[in-house]
Amino acid sequence: MLAQVLFSGLALGSIYGLVALGFAVVFKATEVFNFAQGMFVVCGAFFAVTAITILKLPFPLAVLFIIGAAATLGVIIHVLLIQPLAGRPMLSVIMLTIALSIVMRAVIEIIFGSQGRNLTTPLPSGVFLIGDVRISQLHLTAALVSWACMAGFGAFFRFTSVGLLMRATADSHEAAVVSGVNVNVMNRLAWAIGSTLAAIGGVFLGQLQLASTDIENIGLLALPAVVIGGLQSIPGAIVGGLLVGVIEQLAAYYISPKSSDILIYGLLLLILMVRPWGLFGQRELGRV
Amino acid sequence: MTTHALPITVRPQAGSQFKRWIWIAVSIALLCYLPLLLTDRTIFGVRLSNMQLLNVGLSQVNLMLIAMLGALSLNYLTGCAGLISIGHAAFYAVGAMTAAFTGTQLGWPFPLVLLAAGLAGAVAGLLAGLPSLRVRGLYFVLSTFALHYIVSFAFLEYQFKAFDVVGVPYKTATLGGFELNTPIRWYFFLLPLLALVYWGLRNSLRSREGRAMMAMRDHELATTSVGVDVRILRLKAFAFSSAIAAMGGALYAYYLTNLNSEAFGISFAIQFIAMIIIGGMGSLGGSLVGAAVWLLLPSIITGFASQAGDSTGLTRLLLIEHKAQLVQVTFGMLVILLLIFAPGGIAGIGRQIRNRFATTGQAV
Repeated sequence: MLAQVLFSGLALGSIYGLVALGFAVVFKATEVFNFAQGMFVVCGAFFAVTAITILKLPFPLAVLFIIGAAATLGVIIHVLLIQPLAGRPMLSVIMLTIALSIVMRAVIEIIFGSQGRNLTTPLPSGVFLIGDVRISQLHLTAALVSWACMAGFGAFFRFTSVGLLMRATADSHEAAVVSGVNVNVMNRLAWAIGSTLAAIGGVFLGQLQLASTDIENIGLLALPAVVIGGLQSIPGAIVGGLLVGVIEQLAAYYISPKSSDILIYGLLLLILMVRPWGLFGQRELGRV
Repeated sequence: MTTHALPITVRPQAGSQFKRWIWIAVSIALLCYLPLLLTDRTIFGVRLSNMQLLNVGLSQVNLMLIAMLGALSLNYLTGCAGLISIGHAAFYAVGAMTAAFTGTQLGWPFPLVLLAAGLAGAVAGLLAGLPSLRVRGLYFVLSTFALHYIVSFAFLEYQFKAFDVVGVPYKTATLGGFELNTPIRWYFFLLPLLALVYWGLRNSLRSREGRAMMAMRDHELATTSVGVDVRILRLKAFAFSSAIAAMGGALYAYYLTNLNSEAFGISFAIQFIAMIIIGGMGSLGGSLVGAAVWLLLPSIITGFASQAGDSTGLTRLLLIEHKAQLVQVTFGMLVILLLIFAPGGIAGIGRQIRNRFATTGQAV
């Protein structure tokens, strides 16, 4: 049974890792701790509902639609809400993202109703057995796609010139401005990537469960994942996501479904006390 | 470092001292008349329609008074001491939990329960403040976030072990034989209590430690260098603020008489942050305004919804079928707009207007 639990933990953890990666990209670029990331996940699920169930687009087109819509959403939010708040105290920015998630949730419920919707995509949904372990093809696909996305973005940041500019901007705003990088464009790109990654996670979560605003809570698990892994670190976000997924499934199976929250947040508190910069982050030096 | 605009307190002169007392007397008279107005729904014998009273009832006013306690304590902590907490619902939960244990299980009298809740809140606040010795900024915010989940899990487990799924029952609050069983009685109990807390917080901000606290918010390093131990100060602020919040939680539980642990979710904590942002960071009066807006606006929107019963089309759809969502959108947009255009909240807008009038007065 352990293998079964570990499998679903790793599969879900890959999705969390994907969402957390988007979160970390946004945080690295704009230092915004985005509490609306959970709602981006929900938006992804409902973009999928719109494209597949309502507009009945063919699947490849639907994927393009979801990615395009999510990226546009990220850019719009950055231009309209985040840029005007540049240089404001941290609580203002945090509260802005919280208020944004409240508005987004309400708007989605007005448009789609507060009941969840079934989301069916042409992705394989069967089950096969390896030994005693029931492997759900959907879980497997979710994990594989997540890993592909993570690898893709890792390569993008590492090897392309735009990725290099983004890393430079995240490293030092001023130096990037002086070198002639259009910092605003880079930050918009970061928000677009962040919301797109969350939306892809949302498509899978919406299909594994119902597409409803309740999957926000699952999306919000990306927050402890990111902090456990290390706020400044991209691999940390992925490892944190996997860790959160595995802990959640183990706790839900061996203790009780409610106990997973406390284990995850307890671990978060422990990490904050012992190693606040996270497992993979860099220690921040400050004046004492 | 963040800098906040501080309210400028001008010492009233001898002539205006008298004016001030008149103001206080008038507001006390109005506040005493308000419950009669809201229950009889007439003003000096003239009958008022529901919408003229903005669809507000006395029980909403009472809930507002309880929420004001939470908003005041959070503004003291966040606005004045500069410690951001998104786990303020946890202290409410601690208060409600203490009230369930001492009041419902042990059968202590209500005033003692309130004191116990305050004490438990102070202890919980001390514990919650401990991470502030080690981490700061965003990491500290996250530790309060983690605390929220831990406390709500504890409350849930406690409720399931000691009571049942439905919720925790609370007895009717009695003050030495006098039962607080009607909204009016609650009102006249809560109002002086709130006034007391407000007065206490205001004076504490003007004391030596209060000023040290605001200095700590504005520049920690400078405050340390003039000999203030910011670590102790942070813990004190946390304990004080959470004691008030926990008392608010106990009152909330007793007022509702039955409470499910689900009531103190993350959105309960968020509402307090929204209140102090609407009202104005660092302004005690602003937190009262913010709490009033947050608690009364939904019933005003509901009032419009019942009037819009015969209209058709989009407004009807929005007002009736999606009333809850409409309230959420209104609040969310209000917070976003205030954050972008008026970071000082309603108190900040008020200060700007007053300053404008003050300067024109001098020019003439």
